[in-house]
Amino acid sequence: MNGRKWQAAACVALAAWLLLAVILGSRGGDTVLEFGMFAGSNWGVANADSCVIIDKAIEKFEKAHPGVRIHYYSGIPKEDYSEWLARKILNGETPDVFMALSKDFAKLASLGALANLDSWMGQDADFDEDAFFQTALASGRRNDRQYALPYETVPTLMFVNKTLLNQEGFGVPENDWDWEQLMRICKRITKDTDGDGRVDQFGVYNYGWVEAAYSNGGRLFDENGTQCYIHSEQAAQAVRYANELSDLNQGQKVTQEDFDGGRVAFMPLSFAEYRTYKTYPYKIKKYSAFQWDCITFPAGPQGDNISQVDSLLIGISSRSHKKRLAWEFLKTLTYDEEIQMEIFRHSQGASALRAVTGSKRMEEILRRDMEASDRVIDGTILSEVIENGMDMPRFARYSDALALAESEVLKIYEEEKNVDSSLKIAQRAINHFLVQ
Amino acid sequence: MKAKRIEISLVKYLMLFLNWVTVMAVTGFILATTNNIRESYTARDFIDGVEAIPWRPGAIFAACALLMAALSLSFVMRDVVHFKDGRLEAGSLFFDFAVSIGIVYLLNFNYNGILLWVFANVIFYTKKSSGQFLFMLLGVLSFVGTDYGLASVNYSLYDIQDYIACYDLGRQSYILGIYNVLTSLNMVLFIIFCAFVIQEQRGTIQQVNELYEELQRANEKLQKYAAMKEKMGQTKERNRLAREIHDTLGHTLTGISAGIDACIATIDIAPDKTKGQLEVISGVTREGIQEVRRSVSRLRPDALERLSLESAIRKLVEDNNALTDTKVFFDCQAQPLRFCEDEENAIYRVIQESLTNAMRHGKATRVDIRMWRKDGDVRLTIQDNGIGCAKIQPGFGTEHIRERIALLNGTVAFDGSHGFLVDATIPIRWGEEYD
Repeated sequence: MNGRKWQAAACVALAAWLLLAVILGSRGGDTVLEFGMFAGSNWGVANADSCVIIDKAIEKFEKAHPGVRIHYYSGIPKEDYSEWLARKILNGETPDVFMALSKDFAKLASLGALANLDSWMGQDADFDEDAFFQTALASGRRNDRQYALPYETVPTLMFVNKTLLNQEGFGVPENDWDWEQLMRICKRITKDTDGDGRVDQFGVYNYGWVEAAYSNGGRLFDENGTQCYIHSEQAAQAVRYANELSDLNQGQKVTQEDFDGGRVAFMPLSFAEYRTYKTYPYKIKKYSAFQWDCITFPAGPQGDNISQVDSLLIGISSRSHKKRLAWEFLKTLTYDEEIQMEIFRHSQGASALRAVTGSKRMEEILRRDMEASDRVIDGTILSEVIENGMDMPRFARYSDALALAESEVLKIYEEEKNVDSSLKIAQRAINHFLVQ
Repeated sequence: MKAKRIEISLVKYLMLFLNWVTVMAVTGFILATTNNIRESYTARDFIDGVEAIPWRPGAIFAACALLMAALSLSFVMRDVVHFKDGRLEAGSLFFDFAVSIGIVYLLNFNYNGILLWVFANVIFYTKKSSGQFLFMLLGVLSFVGTDYGLASVNYSLYDIQDYIACYDLGRQSYILGIYNVLTSLNMVLFIIFCAFVIQEQRGTIQQVNELYEELQRANEKLQKYAAMKEKMGQTKERNRLAREIHDTLGHTLTGISAGIDACIATIDIAPDKTKGQLEVISGVTREGIQEVRRSVSRLRPDALERLSLESAIRKLVEDNNALTDTKVFFDCQAQPLRFCEDEENAIYRVIQESLTNAMRHGKATRVDIRMWRKDGDVRLTIQDNGIGCAKIQPGFGTEHIRERIALLNGTVAFDGSHGFLVDATIPIRWGEEYD
């Protein structure tokens, strides 16, 4: 073989190699869109038909995009979903579109698993980000980039034991009530009813300084989970207020049984729980001994009637080859009013779209499941609660950091320390924990 | 020399092999560890501890194998088959560079030793060119620039250490040891390779020096030969002249001397016979003159023998203009130039000599030759624009010119103040015949 022949052979080999690379690279070019989701509710309530909305969205999407199929693995429980998704990501098989849990969102964004949606949102003429509640939309944002869109959102409401309040001569507070009102009611309600010398009727259960801080305009952490703000004035005021409330109980511990037994007037309850327990069959299983309703949180002197809002986010894989289709599907899930209305029918959360959650139709759907005497939370109030709500922090160590903060505050109560200086020290300790 | 070549080739093969092993080990290790993590259901915890993860470990493994195969193919083409075209060779080096950058990118800068392989090749193939140091600099810069520590400052990259940390402590140090040995061994091989190349290069320089000395000696020998040849030519010419003189003039003169001796003996006894004898001698003498003329004509310059004087001078001028950088201009106002042979010879030689002087001593770039009639004489001036000389020194060829002109009863003056001027006046025997 002479040199020319060798060179020709080399060229052929190179061409074959390139061809092979192209074939390998273009494999999987058929239009199947993978969707990563978990079964059941994101809000810790029983949910029999969680897949109905997704199935409807898929049906609608596949009709609008002939030749495209959406594939998802059904039956992954929420507890296993993080691991399942992490395994997929590790293997380079990240679904094109997937749900991101609150605890995973920050990591998925920093890892680069979630695609930056800003350019899609900017280029799509059909898309208007003002259609979303800003709180809900902001929950999918990190470092000024939108990585996911809210699919479903859940504000926290205040559960009111109507029967107990009426018994003590109070009506259900209006939705613009404040700390003072709560304190007045609690002072009157907290008492010893059976005369055994121990307090057995209480004002609040599970309402503490964290909830109070939010409704006082306070914020506990920054979005990246590197800074804690419990030494802020709003938070300190909330800690003092919550301390006063718990002092009313004269050292008695309020339990879930007390509440279930109708001996507590107020308890924070998520919108998802509210909807679940207001509908059959749960409404006869739980809280059936008394009449109840949900209202907003009482406003602190520096804040508003707001509470924490949690959202279920859906994003697009940064490594998806079918980003355009993925974006279209993401829009069908989160931006389509018809599909979003299904959330009120088949799920327990609220839509993150203003037009859907604020609509009369939403109220009609909710009313269908409730008794005539129940006051249905109206769309305007719900919208306000979501719009002004405090987004739930989304970083991996949030629950640990919050537990640390709660134990520090508990120490302040128990050891009757100076609130201001103790919070300062606690904030330093938590900051130290966060940057570790 | 040959032994060193083999050593270099051996190091290159070793380097290629080691890079194959390392690249496949790194990607294979990440692939295997990923599978381990998946099997042990610790993916979520693992992800919490890392900054980035590789995109499809399996695909990266396959892609790296493909790219390494491409590198090997390019190496075989270049080193075993040899490209005929230098551009193909350079192209293959660029191809290697691009491919290795691709590998480093796929490995997320966890191993950049493959660049050393490329630069070993670049150094090997560019060692004769001046761009070698530029390439070396480029190589060092890209090697430093693709360092994991440096690259991970700006980009989030996956780190092989995170994967190593998935194993228990005993195995961790074992794996880390292998990884470090592989990367440093590659560097060691690169250094050995460079050392060999430098050594070989030094050998080449020594070889060039030896060859130069040999050439110098040959040149000296050649110069000696040339001098000897010239001497031999002179001797040959002298012998010819001697033979010529002996054959013609010697013969005639011998005859004349014998005839005159006879005349001396017979002049008183038989004056008539003697007269007859003298006439014979006169005839012989004339014949002798003819013979001498013929001999002399045999010594004339070639050009003059074939051409007229003017043509011969023009040919001299043309040859000169064609062969040297000195431009010569000949202006003749003395046609027709038909002189006697000795006059033509003298004029030709004076011009030739003057041109030689102008070029050799004056370093002139322009020479003007003028010739015109003046009062029955011929004036000849040769002016050059060379460096001239303040004082005319003998031995510059001026003596010859003076002698030649003097033989024709002419005069010559030299002036070295503005270039060099030869100004000769030659009395010509216009149309005069002396035979």
